[in-house]
Amino acid sequence: MVAHVMLARVKRDTTGSLATLGPADEADLIARCKADDRSSHDELYHRFRRQVAGNLYRVLGDRTDLDDLVQEVFVIAFRGLERFRGDARLSTWLYRICVNVALGKIRTRKRRPAAIGVADLDATSADPSLIERPETPDRALERRQDQERVYKALELLAPKKRIVLYLHEIEGLDLKQIAYLVDSNPVTVRTRLFYARREFYRIIAGEPPPDKLPADEGDDR
Amino acid sequence: MSGHVAPHRWADLWAGRVGDPERTVMERHAERCRACARERQRVTRASDSFAAIRTQSSPDVSWDAVRARVHWSVSTQRRAALRRPRPAYGWLAAALATGVAIAMISGPAPTWSPVVAPVARHEVRSPPVAPAALVGLVSRASGDVMVDGVRPADLFARSLTTGSRIATADGRVDIQFGDNSAFALGPRSTIELRRFDAQTIELAVDGTVDVAVAPRAGGQRFLVAAGDHVVEVRGTQFRVTHDGSSTSVACRHGLVAVSDDRGKVLVGAARRVHVASGSPVSSEHVVALSSDELTTLAEATPLALPLWDPVALAQRSAPLEIATSGRRDVRVDGIELGLAPLRVRVMPGRHTVETADSAGRFRRAGWVDVAAAPQGVRLDVPAEPPPTSGISERRRQLRTRIDQPRLGRCMRSIAKAGLTGTYVQVEIAVDARGAVGFLNVIDSDLPSATASCVREVLAGVRFGAGAAATWREHIDL
Repeated sequence: MVAHVMLARVKRDTTGSLATLGPADEADLIARCKADDRSSHDELYHRFRRQVAGNLYRVLGDRTDLDDLVQEVFVIAFRGLERFRGDARLSTWLYRICVNVALGKIRTRKRRPAAIGVADLDATSADPSLIERPETPDRALERRQDQERVYKALELLAPKKRIVLYLHEIEGLDLKQIAYLVDSNPVTVRTRLFYARREFYRIIAGEPPPDKLPADEGDDR
Repeated sequence: MSGHVAPHRWADLWAGRVGDPERTVMERHAERCRACARERQRVTRASDSFAAIRTQSSPDVSWDAVRARVHWSVSTQRRAALRRPRPAYGWLAAALATGVAIAMISGPAPTWSPVVAPVARHEVRSPPVAPAALVGLVSRASGDVMVDGVRPADLFARSLTTGSRIATADGRVDIQFGDNSAFALGPRSTIELRRFDAQTIELAVDGTVDVAVAPRAGGQRFLVAAGDHVVEVRGTQFRVTHDGSSTSVACRHGLVAVSDDRGKVLVGAARRVHVASGSPVSSEHVVALSSDELTTLAEATPLALPLWDPVALAQRSAPLEIATSGRRDVRVDGIELGLAPLRVRVMPGRHTVETADSAGRFRRAGWVDVAAAPQGVRLDVPAEPPPTSGISERRRQLRTRIDQPRLGRCMRSIAKAGLTGTYVQVEIAVDARGAVGFLNVIDSDLPSATASCVREVLAGVRFGAGAAATWREHIDL
């Protein structure tokens, strides 16, 4: 199911002429990449670059350093392909790397806070097929403010809680899928999600954020 | 519920995760409590924005720069790993000096043995080793292809070596002979592999040949003989056209040297030279390529499989034949291969085939499972249905008459798993009486069981009498 959901996401994210890879083609591509074939590296990059950039962009909510982060994901992927056992789809595995890279970025940002560039979210329009009628300026402003509020609230959460909450509430993944992506077990994810939701919606509702809860401990290790 | 509602419960309510009794209590409370109503509104607005965030597409990144940096990082690491550690000459010298010093301090002066006269040594010269023979394999073919005067049934299994002679009729044939190295023989052309080894490749062409050759190592030569002109390169993509009256060489990238017994001229990227037979080559004949000519050259790039191992390829790959009723552009696994009908070498596994319709849009023609077998697999692509009128009316009927509750039941398990934004694409034909001729699911991101269920629902739609129509429908679920 994890692979299936991710596959659906790949289909949604890839644009243009690149067809979605079937399992056999994927295995072939991985084998060629492992054989150090430059052209297959390029092929993998071309097939998944938009998915990777999209994932990072949505998790982080801004495009600051997006080039560097995309680069980091692919460098980790190419270096780690030898260890890729094929127990998940390639897209899922890349998503997992994206999550880890994003987590690292969030932690760095926590240490060196930067302006939240959520305004970027409007720079690229949403999927045109999902827009039924042209948006009024008022509505666009409202939507932008709502998104800003969401990302500002996410910024206040501990990194691990933020990732779990993002994957569940925004990406709509279930506990098992999240557990795979964050390399944890579903019970831990459930606990983390429980506290994350409580905290996040308190912030959204305008209540003062609660004191650090036990689940925060070790988050920034 | 006596107290206030926790904010996250409003999110649960929004997501439909609250039972009816509790929902009623929460809503009644919100009517009485202004603070909770305000909190509910804020939470709902935030939850509403999730969908917009989820559908944000990726912004454009400096794709090429990132790719170059990725490649540089990965290759630098590999090179560092491959580089042999330098011998520790410093330690060796220090140890030697220490040893000599100790010997001089502690021991008597060394007595040197008489110098032995050197013995004359005869160097044994090994005989020159013949360069390894190269093998070419057909990677794509269309139309009639003759090898050594016959039309081989096993064209894709045949190894092409020195002395092989290939000829084409109306189609073309692509032959790969190394990593990123291949040539494609155009229509009504002949090529002879005069020399085909690791040291020298010499091709004699009559007609048109497109060549893409990876950079040659030092000492390696790549020559194309076209009449009394010789084209030599080190690593490039170019086209040579030779007929009885002239020779033309167009270079897409790299550098090509065209020579005859009277001179030599260099042809750079995006330039071409045209020389009449009997005339000496001269730099005056070199002109820039037009954008159309460059596009034609790019489209004619010979097909080279990314993994080059002739033995493994001959054993493991197989030809895929794509048969179309007319000449149609075809794409396999997203890679455009030109006009079908054609045969192409593929690796075992499932391959998606798309063909272009009359408007030039690529549509999925089907997928095919290919096993490693010399006979390969054939995929017959049905003719494009003739354009029909009345599609909009039939489409409206389909949309309005879908049994929504039944469709909802099909999608229930998917919705519970949190999977949204799914779709199904079908091709459907309805005749004038309203009978469904065929209904095929062309594409979907649903599991097969759910897609079948959706198909059944769509098949249950009753159309009235009207214009016959065949169309493709993309339905978001």
